[in-house]
Amino acid sequence: MKKKMLVLFVILAMMITTACSGGENEATTNQSSSGEFEGEITVWHSFTQGPRLEFMQAAADSFMKEHSKVKIKIETFAWPEFYTKWTTGLQSGQVPDVSTALPNHVVELIDVDALVPLNDVIDNIGRDRFYEAPLKEGTVDENNYSIPLYSHAQVMWYRKDLLEEAGLEVPKTWDELYETAKKLNNAPNVYGLSVPMGSGDMMATRFLNFYVRSAGETLITKDGKANLTSKAAIDGINYWINMYKSTSPEGSVNYKVLDQANLYYQGKTAFDFNSGFQIGGVETNSPQLLDKIDAAPMPKINANDPENGIETSNIPVVVWKNSKHPEIAKAFVESLYEKEEYIKFLHSVPAGMLPALKDIAEDPEFLNNPTIQKFDNAVKVISAAVDKGTAIGMENGPTLQSGVIVSQGVIEKMFQDIVLKDVPVKEAAEKAEKELNDLFKMLGK
Amino acid sequence: MEKKLKSFNLTGMLFVLPSVLIVILLLIYPIFSSIYFSFTSKNLIRPFYDFVWLENFKFVLTNPDFYRAFMNSIKWTVLSLAGQLFIGFTAALALNRIPKFTGLYRTLLIIPWAFPAIVIAFSWKYILNDVYGFLPNLLTKLGITDANINFLANPDLAFIVVVLINIWFGAPLFMVNILSALKTVPSEQYEAAQMDGASSFQVFWHITLRHIRVVIGLLLVLRTIWVFNNFDILYLITGGGPSDITTTLPIFAFKAGWGMKQLGVASAITVILLLFLLGICFLYFKLLDKWEREDR
Repeated sequence: MKKKMLVLFVILAMMITTACSGGENEATTNQSSSGEFEGEITVWHSFTQGPRLEFMQAAADSFMKEHSKVKIKIETFAWPEFYTKWTTGLQSGQVPDVSTALPNHVVELIDVDALVPLNDVIDNIGRDRFYEAPLKEGTVDENNYSIPLYSHAQVMWYRKDLLEEAGLEVPKTWDELYETAKKLNNAPNVYGLSVPMGSGDMMATRFLNFYVRSAGETLITKDGKANLTSKAAIDGINYWINMYKSTSPEGSVNYKVLDQANLYYQGKTAFDFNSGFQIGGVETNSPQLLDKIDAAPMPKINANDPENGIETSNIPVVVWKNSKHPEIAKAFVESLYEKEEYIKFLHSVPAGMLPALKDIAEDPEFLNNPTIQKFDNAVKVISAAVDKGTAIGMENGPTLQSGVIVSQGVIEKMFQDIVLKDVPVKEAAEKAEKELNDLFKMLGK
Repeated sequence: MEKKLKSFNLTGMLFVLPSVLIVILLLIYPIFSSIYFSFTSKNLIRPFYDFVWLENFKFVLTNPDFYRAFMNSIKWTVLSLAGQLFIGFTAALALNRIPKFTGLYRTLLIIPWAFPAIVIAFSWKYILNDVYGFLPNLLTKLGITDANINFLANPDLAFIVVVLINIWFGAPLFMVNILSALKTVPSEQYEAAQMDGASSFQVFWHITLRHIRVVIGLLLVLRTIWVFNNFDILYLITGGGPSDITTTLPIFAFKAGWGMKQLGVASAITVILLLFLLGICFLYFKLLDKWEREDR
């Protein structure tokens, strides 16, 4: 009896051991003798809905059809979940072969040596075809650790009908925007411009960055320090506080990105800042407003100031160092840029996702889309902005500080302290700057 | 010794083994890993770390934001529990007196408790939004307010509003449990008290409350732990804002761990939190023991 129990115990222990090891990526073989790809790769992406989601599966199916011995497992996570997934995955080795990422993720991943360089893939696709700034965001020591898949940039969205009714011009400077927004402000029906300051988000940082960048400065200096007490930053803080008091819903002190966007989607704000994704939001929520919206370049301090790149978001693809089949992973990434498929992908959110390849941006096949044609002006404005801007804080190259400034809510809290606790602007800015620099020190940078 | 070995039941042990493994994995491991990491410089995404011993605790205990979050946690817990207990108790006493449809009322009143936190958070955020939210628009239309108020953006209101939401959410649990306890009070005691000419307050104090106080005590122990550790409702509704007014210790720890990736610091905060709650539970259990001894 005891022997039987012992055998049962051993079998149970084996089952537990097997179950615990079952989650690993099981590698088969790397490449067959004929040079044909063979093996299974896992792809994580964050396109959680609609045609983008379908496209990724279709791209995998097409690759598997071409390479019959390859299996691609697609896993989808929303961005916040995605972040949790890869940070914890790094600890346990449970990371994919290929994934999308945000530029700040890429910087962190390079820092922990989790990615393989993709110079060869970029060269195969055609290095000259890529815009320079997005490539720079993932480049360290001439190694390109990420490939931009699509880009979008922040521009100023406005309501054409409201401006026409009031006989007002599209503002070109920050002062003009303030005056125009004030004139259009007709709360609670329509607010001139909502100024979001919700903590746990980066919208106030984004808004302050618009102003500071238009003055030719940056929120993070070349030597990696926070820059909230420069004249441009203090002017910017004052500007947005005044705008909040004059044209914004009171509750915007708590708004995050979706709260902010929803107001414009529902026709509750005359102005807003966003990328081409704004079109899809308006189309879904208030299709009757679709003919009444357009985009213009970011305002400047003075109308004749040079065009400064402000904020561009380049969503890249990366290949993970843990990949057991990096060659398959790279080949799959390369396949995403095949012209016909790539354009199909971009058209899944027309005008929202702009090409990372210059030639595709001018390709008639890409331009021949009803939404892109309808919003021809907006697409031109966004395209022009894409090439000049970078992610917030990455103007001088990829830095870990850029992740801190958008993830810690320090600037958001600074704005809230000024608005809710009447803390003087300079004092609040100094405190926030010190707090950010302390956080930067914690990174060991 | 031989006797002990004889009584060692291998079959029984094998049956218990999976549960023991699950308890170790799900309960003991996270606690000990938190204690372990609290003494290290562990970063969430970096593979290597050093022992920094009490540095994380020093960092946390010298941070004024920690004390603000601590005080917020205490306020959040005390106010929430007081409100939940009062409303839950009152509703239970009322339901206990209703002869008909008690089940229906109980079902209706338990509904808030059945909602997932994410639904509660987004629903209340929507209801309280100053632009399109139902409540601010209603108050303005009724002439109670001149303009729409944003409850969650107002520093004087934000904290109390989230506490009220938590009371609305948690009171049904008190109600259901207290109602069950009330059903166990022997009716003879009430009859005897009536014959002795006891006042309503005396009946409530000496019979009702005395009979159910252990249930209430246990509920308070459990809810203190849950409410003190509550993260989801608060974080989803306010994100800890505005201006850190609603940042409690769990949110503070989350920001350190997931925001800054400083797992060592976040672990130190959770260890302090654990010690504090253990102390509170110790006091509660002391009181419960006393009550139980008195009831014997």
